[in-house]
Amino acid sequence: MSDIKLVMAYIRPDKLSDVKEGLAEVGAPSLTVTNVSGRGSQPAKTGQWRGEEYSVDLHQKVKVECVVADIPADEVAEAICAAAKTDEKGDGKVFVLPVDEAYQIRTGKTGPEAV
Amino acid sequence: MTALAQASLDPGAVVNAVNAVWVLTVTFLIFFMHAGFAMLEAGQVRSKNVANQLTKNMLTWSVGVTVFFILGVTVSEVVAGLTGGPSFTLFSVFDASNAVADGSGWVNWLFGAVFAMTAATIVSGAVAGRMKLRAYVTYTITLAAVIYPVVLGFTWGEGFLYQLGFTDFAGGMIVHGMGGLAGLTAAYIVGPRLDRYNTDGSVNVIPGHSVSFAVLGTLILAFGWYGFNVGTAATPLAGDGAALGAFAGVGRVALTTTLGMAAGAMGAGLVALYRTGKVDTLYVANGMLAGLVGITSNTDIIVWPAALLIGGLAGAQLPIVFSFVEKRLKIDDVCAVFPVHGSAGVLGTLLVAVPGMTVSSATVDPVAQVTGVLVIGGWTVLATAGVFGVFKLLGEIRVSREHELEGLDISEHGVDTYPEFGKPETVADGGWVESNGVVRPDGGNPNDGGIKLVMGFIRPDKLSDVKQGLAEVGAPSITVTNVSGRGSQPAKTGQWRGEEYTVDLHQKVKVECVVADTPADEVAAAISDAAHTGEKGDGKVFILPVEGAHQIRTGKTGTDAV
Repeated sequence: MSDIKLVMAYIRPDKLSDVKEGLAEVGAPSLTVTNVSGRGSQPAKTGQWRGEEYSVDLHQKVKVECVVADIPADEVAEAICAAAKTDEKGDGKVFVLPVDEAYQIRTGKTGPEAV
Repeated sequence: MTALAQASLDPGAVVNAVNAVWVLTVTFLIFFMHAGFAMLEAGQVRSKNVANQLTKNMLTWSVGVTVFFILGVTVSEVVAGLTGGPSFTLFSVFDASNAVADGSGWVNWLFGAVFAMTAATIVSGAVAGRMKLRAYVTYTITLAAVIYPVVLGFTWGEGFLYQLGFTDFAGGMIVHGMGGLAGLTAAYIVGPRLDRYNTDGSVNVIPGHSVSFAVLGTLILAFGWYGFNVGTAATPLAGDGAALGAFAGVGRVALTTTLGMAAGAMGAGLVALYRTGKVDTLYVANGMLAGLVGITSNTDIIVWPAALLIGGLAGAQLPIVFSFVEKRLKIDDVCAVFPVHGSAGVLGTLLVAVPGMTVSSATVDPVAQVTGVLVIGGWTVLATAGVFGVFKLLGEIRVSREHELEGLDISEHGVDTYPEFGKPETVADGGWVESNGVVRPDGGNPNDGGIKLVMGFIRPDKLSDVKQGLAEVGAPSITVTNVSGRGSQPAKTGQWRGEEYTVDLHQKVKVECVVADTPADEVAAAISDAAHTGEKGDGKVFILPVEGAHQIRTGKTGTDAV
């Protein structure tokens, strides 16, 4: 088992730039961002089409993925938490997953060096 | 100058030229309403059905106008002649002498044709997203050949409704009321879209894909409508040029058309505000058109306050009638064509008979107005039901369930309207609101005390079932991503301007669900059960270990954070 970790965070879209800054500050600037929608503790919203209301319980979020080897994953997760926090329901969650192996496509490097 | 004019000017030629220039100008304006209908309908359907809607609009014009030339105009003249109108010659429209611009030839045929095609294209908005193209095109042929020409013969062709004294200046009932009733009938017979009503009969709202397109289409239609109404004052100059013809009262038409449109938007917007506390954009747009429809039959004879009143009422009835059709009649009228064209057209045609609405020189017979509405409405509903009833009996009216879920763009045309973007599916499935806490199954120590990420790749149309299934096993929190992927599902063929390309990446939805207290295999089983159809392409579910978790708002970590 290598010590490579995937830090995967679901955050508010408007917090992305703060999170990017926070990640750069702890030395983990490389990241992948995806537009996602999700359901958690945030209450459902109401949409409207031709005057009729419908319930939207999947909220727009941004998923940030960041793979780290030398930097402790907990530090990265805490940096994301600190940057993404607003204290309102719907701030999101951060998970840390183990990564078995890593390859850098251009150089052919493997393992922690590839991260 | 005067001497020169007397020497060389032919007054008759000037009158013919001026009149022809005006009629052709408004004809092209009315033709441009097809761009409005195309955009209005495209905006109100889902992204998977846009190309189908646009194609139907283009085919309505192309097929319809050809049929109206070959058959429709003669049918209308025959119907008029047999019911008290002028004598007719069969197929006189084919006579080459019509090329002369003397006010009776092909220019006038084209002027009539753009009105006919407006009636025809209204129907496509009501039946969006589920009707087979062949059924729709066949109906367009019958509408252009028989259904509309019969109405035309009774009325503007000087048949029996005209003889009765029925008045409809520019087609509030003849064109719009007829089209709206035909649309309602067609939508009833074809049945609602698959996900329009839930199993308990409650309404499921299906938002259209672009309010921008819908409003652009509305404003293009309103622009073309000036041609429709003001252009019905078709002869600016009278016989020898010594006096104005229909232009004597053209200012009234321009003003009442404008006020009716404005009042319609305000009326619908205010009723929407009263009902929901918000000024609904689409209702304002639909209300503008409803106001125009309400005014179209009477715009030449009403006083200006009546224009505000009729337009305002035509707009105000729109949200009420739409709800009634949707919730009580359970008819899925996708683009609200009945409240916009049908009930608004009927309303304007009847309200003009109320005393005080018109200028003193105009006489409107209430009996003739009611008779006209009943005859035109009755004939339209019966004929439309007849044509679509035959298609329904043959089982040829609706696309298959698979094709409807996939969207008519791919299944009927092989085209993807937005091939470069993923499909931003708005899932309006009623949502799920946690009411009294999540039921967590007790069971000692699930997931060996660890946290697991359950990742499912499923069909987009199964998302709603999966959300429900996850809520039932106590894992309602999820993240959803639009993805595309390749698995056991066979490759599809896309088409761009007739050239085929292979699509082996199919649209799927990725569902991620992190659990601690709920066993991951139960969650995976719930996703599998809910997403199962038995066809290739159902997807897969994976379970991954998670080493740590943080909840951003509370700062909780570990299993408490999940």
